[in-house]
Amino acid sequence: MTYRVGSAQGFYGDDVTRALPMIEGGHVDIVCFEALSELTLAILQKDRLANPQRGYTFDLAIIARQILPKAYERKIPLVTNGGGLNPQAAAEMARDTAAKMGLHGLKIACVTGDDVLARLDALQAAGEELANIETGERLADTPNQNFVTANVYLGAAPIVEALQNGADMVITGRVADPCLYLAPLIAHYGWAWDDWNKLASGIVCGHLLECTGQVVGGNSLAAMNNINPRHLPHLGYPIANVEADGSFVLTKMPGTPGCVTMETVKEQLLYEVHDPRSYLTPDVAADFTTLRLSPDGENRISVSRVTGKLRPDTLKVNIGRLEGYMRELIFTFGYPEVWRKVDMLKAMIAESWRDLPIRRVEYSYLGMNSLFGSLAPLPDDPLEVVARVLFTADDTDTLKTAVRRVMANGLSCPPGMSVSGTTVGAEPRPVLGLFPALVSREVVTPEIHYIEV
Amino acid sequence: MKLYDLAYGRAGDKGSIANISVIARSPEAYQQLKARLTAERVKRHFGDLVKGEVVRYELDNIEALNFVLHDALDGGATRSLRIDGLGKSLAGALLYMDWD
Repeated sequence: MTYRVGSAQGFYGDDVTRALPMIEGGHVDIVCFEALSELTLAILQKDRLANPQRGYTFDLAIIARQILPKAYERKIPLVTNGGGLNPQAAAEMARDTAAKMGLHGLKIACVTGDDVLARLDALQAAGEELANIETGERLADTPNQNFVTANVYLGAAPIVEALQNGADMVITGRVADPCLYLAPLIAHYGWAWDDWNKLASGIVCGHLLECTGQVVGGNSLAAMNNINPRHLPHLGYPIANVEADGSFVLTKMPGTPGCVTMETVKEQLLYEVHDPRSYLTPDVAADFTTLRLSPDGENRISVSRVTGKLRPDTLKVNIGRLEGYMRELIFTFGYPEVWRKVDMLKAMIAESWRDLPIRRVEYSYLGMNSLFGSLAPLPDDPLEVVARVLFTADDTDTLKTAVRRVMANGLSCPPGMSVSGTTVGAEPRPVLGLFPALVSREVVTPEIHYIEV
Repeated sequence: MKLYDLAYGRAGDKGSIANISVIARSPEAYQQLKARLTAERVKRHFGDLVKGEVVRYELDNIEALNFVLHDALDGGATRSLRIDGLGKSLAGALLYMDWD
């Protein structure tokens, strides 16, 4: 019997209601919602600081209110990592919402244990070096110790257990994206934890599902000319029909816009992948170089022969830290002598900030070199230039003073200069650095709490 | 002729590391890419946009190459001062390469 996994979220802010037609039309056996990018936890940290009852994604309220009742009625479980930094509060919110709507007998599982911020010192004292994956620097040796988040990428195990214990909704914090989708397959088919080829197949399946729109024609260079742009806000999200041996057909919500083709699948297969022979996850090292893709009818691509190897001994932990603040101003200049005026702007700004502790200043010219840098030679004598200046400081007051001083030159500026009003009125944005490290598997213990309605 | 005539692809980010898939439009194009689109050539093409090393991986099964570009995103999405801090446009930057 084919098991059908739907995907209705690929980032915080995605349109989660696209799960509804999947559920109401009977097209799926379970729906997963992947909400956390590297950036998201740092954003949620601000919410939790302001209110200890927050720190989960707002989308979860929509899932609880609009999707959960329909899914529960049809016994279709929902799985999400949108609990973010506060899965417990998210689960309580979901319980309260369900109770208000009169749902009875509902079981919500809440997975914690990924958040190790409070344990960083203890982990290091116990011998965990927490060395940076990219630079090799040990956490203890890094000068900026202003850590705001530290979350381990958990694997599928706690979700599998929750589903096998009859959870109708599983809410987690940081779980590795594809493991969110692998978990229901293990729970359903009972795959062994060392059946590497099947686990790897589930990971490939999850990897193809986890970015929703990106495998059905969104952000697709290959599909660009086949997609009606008015369809972009209505793309049918992906569904995988998975067999017991791990092979699957990737398709999408029937009767909806978008396309699943060899091209869209190849694009998504390599999205955010480094070594395709060893795509590391907490549960298996998946090999993308042995698999076979083949068309299987309209909007259906069959994926088979995925292989996998032993999972790594370590888990990845992403540690976020506050590294200061940034601010942006955008200036416009027109003919004549545009570059002369840009030079005047730079000198004027440098002089205005002479005694300010500004850390970095970067100029780019929108539409000319802001994307491609030195790949894009600047024209000699353009008719117009849009100059974007980004600058950083350790504190927000410095940035506010910096903006005020530049704006005070409003009538003493290079000729014909204009400034984008929305950038003048904007607030400083935190610069959040990520410190990715490895931690021993044994020191991370996921916990599952059940809440019944 | 541009690389875009032979291939399409997508860029992704992890921290300050970018990856770009280059997916051949035909089996013949894949043989050409495999023979001539080396990691060194890609590194040279990007100039100061990519500060670290470039590593190439081959996927014969889907006729694609995957390039991993280290230190390519000015510190990554959360710190980058670039307007495209996620490097979404970098696939296009590679496909812009002259090809003859």
